[in-house]
Amino acid sequence: MYNYEELSINEIFDLLRKWRDNNERKSNEIMSLSERIMDNLDSQPNEKYLILEQLIMADLDCNYPMLAAKWIEMLDADFPDSLRVMKFKSMWYEAHDNYEQAFGILNKIIKADEINAPPALKRCIAITKAMGMTNEAITKLVEYLNQFMSDMEAWQELSELYLQVQEYSRAAFCIEELILHQPHNHLFHQRLADIRYTMGGVENMELAKTYYCQTLKLNPNNMRALLGLILAANNLLGHYKSSGSAKRKEVWKLCQWAQSEVTKRQREAQGSNDSALTSAMLALTIGD
Amino acid sequence: MSISLKTVQNKPEPVAYSEAALRNNAIVMEYCRTSMAALSGSTAGVLGLTGLNGFAFYMFSVIILWAMFLVKAGPNWKKYYVSRQSLLTNGFLGALFTYVLFWTFIYGMVHVY
Amino acid sequence: MAELLLDPKIRFWVFLPIVVITFLVGLVRHYVSIILSSHKKIELLQVQDSQVMIRARLLRENGKYLPRQSFAMRRHWFNNEDTGYFKVQKRTSNAQNPMTDPGMMTDMLKGNLTNVLPMIVIGGWINWMFSGFLTTKVPFPLTLRFKPMLQRGVELAYLDASWVSSASWYFLNVFGLRTIYTLVLGENNAADQSKVMQDQMSGAAMAMPPDPKAAFKAEWEALEITEHKWALATVDTDLLTAE
Repeated sequence: MYNYEELSINEIFDLLRKWRDNNERKSNEIMSLSERIMDNLDSQPNEKYLILEQLIMADLDCNYPMLAAKWIEMLDADFPDSLRVMKFKSMWYEAHDNYEQAFGILNKIIKADEINAPPALKRCIAITKAMGMTNEAITKLVEYLNQFMSDMEAWQELSELYLQVQEYSRAAFCIEELILHQPHNHLFHQRLADIRYTMGGVENMELAKTYYCQTLKLNPNNMRALLGLILAANNLLGHYKSSGSAKRKEVWKLCQWAQSEVTKRQREAQGSNDSALTSAMLALTIGD
Repeated sequence: MSISLKTVQNKPEPVAYSEAALRNNAIVMEYCRTSMAALSGSTAGVLGLTGLNGFAFYMFSVIILWAMFLVKAGPNWKKYYVSRQSLLTNGFLGALFTYVLFWTFIYGMVHVY
Repeated sequence: MAELLLDPKIRFWVFLPIVVITFLVGLVRHYVSIILSSHKKIELLQVQDSQVMIRARLLRENGKYLPRQSFAMRRHWFNNEDTGYFKVQKRTSNAQNPMTDPGMMTDMLKGNLTNVLPMIVIGGWINWMFSGFLTTKVPFPLTLRFKPMLQRGVELAYLDASWVSSASWYFLNVFGLRTIYTLVLGENNAADQSKVMQDQMSGAAMAMPPDPKAAFKAEWEALEITEHKWALATVDTDLLTAE
């Protein structure tokens, strides 16, 4: 996307700001820029510490613990006893698989500030998950959601965890919660349809079909939803075989429509491929 | 002027508004309106408009701003605003106050002494 | 009536300074109140309550995107007579006296410090320093009723009502610069004195944190009368007819 070598320093800081605002992690990218960031860190006095935090995250993600330790020490020197720095310390331990220490620090954070505990609580849950104790993580997360009910990230994570232990109806519940928060997000609708499809049964299949349709309505380019719609409709056709009612007719129509859409897409995709292929062939023949 | 996209489903029946986007649009419009009031107030002051002329000029600039909004939003304005009328009338009096202040200020600076 | 002629020096030593002073004082107030503002201590229970309220509201607004069963399940969880969240959770209505809470007292004191004090000091100073000048003339005719408003400190019975005295010019600025502060400092800035004055008039400056008990009751009622209207009922035919 970007040619990192050619960016000017200001562009780099703009890019960092963008990532920070959009909550994008981009650790590899940050690492590839890190040397130039470090050299020019003092030119951005207002954002210095925010950028340092980004660097620490990137270092930990890309396994450069020494660098991360250096930055954390720097932060620690400037903000002794800061809870925010303590969080990074715990993450550093976490990166070293030293979960006991990490837990210790996180618990200290939670005790010190109950109101702003959510990030620390979430890290605790993430560690539990990393240790492979999915069920414990679920219990903790449910406890957490009891207190902070409108935390979308947590609901999403809980649904992932439920999917891992194959509690589909509970996972569906969590996704429904997400839809309540963001009814415009087609991906949530698609995910709910996926789960309903996996659960099986006529009723769930009907719901899956409906939600795939809603996804396509919100975003007509969602290929996964289109394919899912075909599968769900086919499945429903199997269920309705005996009844042969108006319902079956409708599903049949829907299925036909979805299939024609898919072939259209495929032809479009192939069309561009074809031309590329033919031009390549032509190039070859000229070479001959 | 950045107007973030407000999602409206393509069918008239269930229209869902994204609250955050609506709020953002309102803030952006408020910003435009205040700037417009300050600028046109200063203009009126420099021109030395008095009495009804000044208020007519305010009406004129409000309508110009409205037209600019509509042009900017284009044919599918429904994507960005709930109603076109509210674009015209929202914050009319608040902006009028700013307008009068700037008008008086610049008029005083230029023409009274 | 013959036109009055004002000394051009008034323009540079009274008229302009008042505008600049009012504006800059607003900016300073904004930043001082940021420095002084204490980290509001919120209880965990309050956070929980507010999040529950958000969730219930979202259920009311966006519940139409869920199947009827899921909607009913959630409403049951909130509203059931015996086990519903709004019924089980007992919140005491905290109508405590602000005088007994030392934290609130200091908050009020700080509020007064940043809001009322500069108002009195600057207003008084302007009145003392620049009193008795006619500063400008509004460019539109006004009736005599406006005289006491616009000509404070200049009691001349036969003066045209559109002339503005220095003290009144200051107050006009205090009220009129509000939108400019929004422009310069962004929403919800603390520079706006007029809002504080309105608050004090209506007594809302000492507003309590909202009473959770009453809020729960209201939300319970609202949820109870919400009807589920399945928004996706016709989505498949919509999709087919859209082509």
